[in-house]
Order: sequence, then structure tokens, then C-alpha cells
Amino acid sequence: MSSSRQQNQATLFSGDISVTSANRKPSALTGSARKIKDNSADWHNLMLRWDKLNEDGFTAAASIVNMRRSLLLNDSSSPQSSSSPQQVGGDTELQDKCLVLQEVVDKMAVVVMKMERLMTTQRGIEDLEALQFGPKGRKVPLFHSWSTKEFGEASQVLLDAFRQELLLKQTILQEVAHTATSDLCMVFLSCWLHQPFIPTQTRLRLEALLLETGHRPL
Amino acid sequence: MGTLAVATLHQALRKSFTTLESNQKVWKSVLDECSPLMVSLGNLAEQSRALSNVQISNTALRSFPDLEERLRFKLLQATDTVLGKLNEKMSSLQSVRDAISNQVAAVLQLYEQNMHSMDLLTVTERSPTTPSVADMLEWLQDAERHYRQQYPFFPIQAWLFVFVLYSSPFSPLNCCVQIPEDEDSVSDTENTLCKVSFFVESQ
Repeated sequence: MSSSRQQNQATLFSGDISVTSANRKPSALTGSARKIKDNSADWHNLMLRWDKLNEDGFTAAASIVNMRRSLLLNDSSSPQSSSSPQQVGGDTELQDKCLVLQEVVDKMAVVVMKMERLMTTQRGIEDLEALQFGPKGRKVPLFHSWSTKEFGEASQVLLDAFRQELLLKQTILQEVAHTATSDLCMVFLSCWLHQPFIPTQTRLRLEALLLETGHRPL
Repeated sequence: MGTLAVATLHQALRKSFTTLESNQKVWKSVLDECSPLMVSLGNLAEQSRALSNVQISNTALRSFPDLEERLRFKLLQATDTVLGKLNEKMSSLQSVRDAISNQVAAVLQLYEQNMHSMDLLTVTERSPTTPSVADMLEWLQDAERHYRQQYPFFPIQAWLFVFVLYSSPFSPLNCCVQIPEDEDSVSDTENTLCKVSFFVESQ
């Protein structure tokens, strides 16, 4: 796929854009349609990668929360205790888990950066279309029914959701190892797991994108 | 004449115990599948309670718009999913209960049809490998009663949990939800099946 994308990079910017039906074989797609179809596949892959990272992060975050909560419990039951060897050992483990979580969040930031790049490409396609067909864009849709602008809108919604979720995850990373209360620990963990800024509609939106571009059969 | 009736009844009893055995396995496995679901429900309740106990505006999360509502929605959505799965399990348990009830009812009906041709001696006659007709009918009825009484209990507990969770959205109570260990009916059924194992295997 990557080599054909490089080929079509040239055709895209030379203005050779063919209007094709999504039912044709993928190799028949060129130009904007090819780029949008590739972008959709990239969105799908990036979201899969995000899901995997979320799972990995949850494992680390859950360990951190458990350690933090047991520490809070011990503190409340025996506030006089000074740091024992056991506690120091626990601190090392805590630090390790925090590092793991840090790595996960860093990788998630890379995913969001790639999503932003997809958005930039999408904007480029729209600008090119405006140049060629005027402000109203092309008359015949590239695939089944979506205007080129609708791809941009769908992508923007996805990007905004993941951007916001990344901010939340970065906050959780900073706070989770030294939260004041057990309940707040739990809330951080809930937030990580359930991803409040990525609603279920997001998945549906991706599916719609994949359907439109022919990655999924109608 | 008596022996024909007894033979017919024996055949029906063998079939009943075979049905009982297979249904009991289904019951056990469904209960095992319920355990992780109940654990999930408990986790979600704990998360919901923690969220209610926290004043988001006093934390580092204050800058996130509508965080509390969004998270609560996700928790409710997840609870909904788990309850849906539990509902399916309840349906399976209901099927087991009904299958056993139907089978036992059929055997009892057969007994009633034939009881005039079987005297007390026949009905209480037993051998080392064959329990008496009276005993076997009693055990079947005991098993049927166990499952009939157990089934309504589980959905009631699950719905009680739902009621508590949904009735106080801002301060859910501390619910410790567990599927009760159904040791009694399972072990009694297993004992019964042991007692009739020679009988069932013989033809």
C-alpha cells in the first residue's frame, strides 16, 4: 500500500484526479480518492493502536492505583510509621510502573500527532478541490454519497475527541501516583479505562468512514 | 401386569435422570459464567460511588468540560451491557428449571396413570443396583423443587442491585453483590445422580 501511495502522491499534486466508484478495484482509484481511502485505513489502524495502548496503560495505572490505595490505607491506620524497607521497595515498583505509563502516554501522543497529519492531508485535498471545482466542490461524490468536506468534518470530530482524551491521560499520568484520596485514585482509573471523551459514536463514525470508502462491504 | 408398568416407569425414570444430569451441568456452567459478570457489576458500582464522593472541581480534573457527566454516562453504559449479559444467563437458568420441571411432571403423570397396577410392595421394592420407584420419584421431586426455588432468587438479586444503583444516581449505596453459592442443590443433585448411577446405566 505504501508504494502505491507514493505513486499516487505524484498524481494527486499534478491534478490528475479521476472520479471513480468505490466498487472498482482499489488499484483503479487515483488521486484524491486514493488518498482519502488510504487516510481512512490509517484512521482505523491508528485507533486500533490507541486501543492497545489504552489496555497496556490500564494495566500499569491499575498497579499504581493499587499501590497508592494500600499506602493511603496504611497511612490512615498507622500514621506514626516511618519508611520501612518494604515501603522503599514499593517506591521502586511504583516508579517503574509510572515509567511504563509515561511510555504509553508518549506513544499515544505520537498516535494523535499522526492523526493531526491525516487532518492536514485532508485539508489539502479539500483546498485542491476548491481550486479545481470552485467553492462548492466537485458535483459527483468521490465514493458513494459523501462530499469531500464531509470526510474533513468526520476526521475533525475524531481528532478533537482523541486530542481531548490525550490531555486527560496526560493529567492522569501526572496525578495518579500522588493522589490525596482513595476515591480520587479510583476516578483516575475509571477515566483511563472508560475514556469519557471518546464516545461510542466515535467508533460508529469510523465505521461510516470505512463503509463510504469501500473498506467495509456495504 | 405390574412388571410392565414398572418397566415403563423405569424407562421414564432413566430418561429423567439423564435429563437432570445434563441440565445440572448447564446450570453449573451458567452460574460459573455469572460470577465474573457479578464482579464487573461490583467494580462498576465501586467506580460510580467513588465518582460521587469526589468533588471534581477541587481536583486537577476541573479543567475538563463535563467530565463527571461523561464518565457517569460511560459507567451506566457499561453497567447496561453487563446487565444485558446477565439477563441472557437468567434465561438459560430459566430454561434449565423449565426442562427439569417438565420432565418430572411427565414422569409423575406416568406414575399416576399406572399406580393402580402397582401395589405398595412393588413401589417400595429395591435392589442393590435399582432404588425403589418411590425413592426415585421422591428424589426427582426434590431436585425439581430446588431448581424451581433457586431460579427466581438470582434475577431478584440482580434487579435489586439495579434498583439501588439507579435509584440514587448521586450517592449509590455500598452494594456487595454476589451470586450465592448454590452448593445445596448442586450437591444434592450430585448425590441423587450417584445413587441412581447403576440404575441409569442398566437397561
